[in-house]
Amino acid sequence: MMIKSSSIAKILRHCSVFRSIQRFESSTTTSFPPESPASPITQQLPLIVSRQIEYPHIRYPPLQAWLETLGQKRDEKLGLVDLHPSIWQTSPRLDILYENVEWQKTYKKIDWAYTPPHHEYPNMRTKPWPQKGTGRARHKSRFGPQWKGGYKVNGPKGPTSFFYVLPKEKRVEGLCTALTVKLHQNDVHIVDSLDLPTHQPTYLQELAEDRFWGPSILFVDDTDIMPHNIMFATAKTEGFTLMPVYGLNVHSMIKHTTLVLTIRALNKIEKKLLHALHSYDTQKDQPPAPDEP
Amino acid sequence: MPIERGLQYLRQMQRVTLKNLPMPLEKTDKWKREHPDENTMKTIMSKKGPISRSGLPPYGIDPIQAEGRLPWILTVPKEPYYEGVEEARQYLPISLRTLQRLIDLRRINPARPIDLPVLCNTKLFSIQPDQRQFGLQLTDEGADLFSTPINLEIQWVSSEVATAAIERCGGILTTRYFDPVSLSALIDAKKFFERGEPIPRCDTPPLNAIEYYTDPKQRGYLANPDLIREERQRLAQKYGYKLPDASKFSPMFHLRKDPRQIFFGLAPGWLVNLKDQTILKPKDNKFETFYHS
Repeated sequence: MMIKSSSIAKILRHCSVFRSIQRFESSTTTSFPPESPASPITQQLPLIVSRQIEYPHIRYPPLQAWLETLGQKRDEKLGLVDLHPSIWQTSPRLDILYENVEWQKTYKKIDWAYTPPHHEYPNMRTKPWPQKGTGRARHKSRFGPQWKGGYKVNGPKGPTSFFYVLPKEKRVEGLCTALTVKLHQNDVHIVDSLDLPTHQPTYLQELAEDRFWGPSILFVDDTDIMPHNIMFATAKTEGFTLMPVYGLNVHSMIKHTTLVLTIRALNKIEKKLLHALHSYDTQKDQPPAPDEP
Repeated sequence: MPIERGLQYLRQMQRVTLKNLPMPLEKTDKWKREHPDENTMKTIMSKKGPISRSGLPPYGIDPIQAEGRLPWILTVPKEPYYEGVEEARQYLPISLRTLQRLIDLRRINPARPIDLPVLCNTKLFSIQPDQRQFGLQLTDEGADLFSTPINLEIQWVSSEVATAAIERCGGILTTRYFDPVSLSALIDAKKFFERGEPIPRCDTPPLNAIEYYTDPKQRGYLANPDLIREERQRLAQKYGYKLPDASKFSPMFHLRKDPRQIFFGLAPGWLVNLKDQTILKPKDNKFETFYHS
């Protein structure tokens, strides 16, 4: 069940037949029993989903991944999907992942610690006892720093924010490295859509157990309006989360063991990341921005 | 390839989690001294001391060695005798006497054009391009002894006597500029071909050398050939000899190089394969325009 996409990609790279739309009707029916070759078996035939790759990479050819379904429990592959190497085959920079995770933690942080200074203390400015005569030490006020309950001299003053914005290149690089890390550790699964036959949570749980899809799964879809069945199932299980594409971030990708993308989400992610990777500072040479936000 | 090795490690090692990410390196003491944090700044900028009392001496003054109020750097006067030494070009000398000796001992063939690689193959000169050495220069020691017609290509000539000595015997002199990249190819041609790099094209000389290499008096390679002929006549009249006929000699004698060419018979952009005894030439238009521009 643990299919390594890289090794299959290596085997397939030697055959040069995977760059265009093709319906393999004759070469792949060897795996199925030879019954009724005349009737078209549309669902069971593996498809190659054509994806036009923009900004093709100079050195590396596109990677491949299996296309799977959530509609049935049996693990059947529907076909192959091309993946862009600039996003899915970058150098695994774990230090950039660390920086992204740190940024996500600390940019929201506000430190509310506050120690009031001398003038905000109650108005006990009177001398506690006269300067001379009593055998005690000389003091001016009851709330000096050396007193118990006194003010602190250089303490934290007010809410301090730890807000900072990580540069855009690092954030883009972080997303690309997180995706490569997931892909090359067999934790990415691409799915045609998030439609389930039932709303029972046990269906999804057993499906994930059979396919060894880790204890926590992150489902990513195109829009934030998800089908009802999957919403109900993920709400009742611990560890399964739904997410639209605009919420994709490095911390969630690393926290969840597996990542399940739909094809429409894949298209959107690649479009946005490629636009960010190939854009410049000057407005003159900017390629046109993608239409949707 | 570093990317593929990193991805190989990813496939073999454990899953990347939030606890597996690498922490950033600790800051050294030197860095901490140069970037003081808030608390150390507070102790420095306290209410006492020379910093707060504006009692610090001006920059550059060592209180022990101070003579008057000037720092040491300003007390010592400037003596710019060697100004421009770091940018000056060096040329190793070769005299007419050594040339004649090499020809008599049959270490150099006067029937073929004498080039920088020919002279370097005698292993008498060690030219180091990274020490700002740009080739060889001709000196006039042995002008009376010189008596063979040769086609010489040298990098610098400072005296007229040397040019006159060569042309009196019926030879041809040209001065030629080589930039450091092509120099390193010419000095040890065999080593360069074993490296497997395409032949570089020679750059134009720098601004302070263009005047020299376009001067017909110095027989520059960028000068007008008609003017050079005039200068040859003028030198002959000045030193009292008759210019012998140039048509008597073989066509090999009159070979001259293109301003972008380094080796005789090989054009820039070609790849020489010593093992298979072949030469590879680029076909694409952009390469041809670049190498022959």
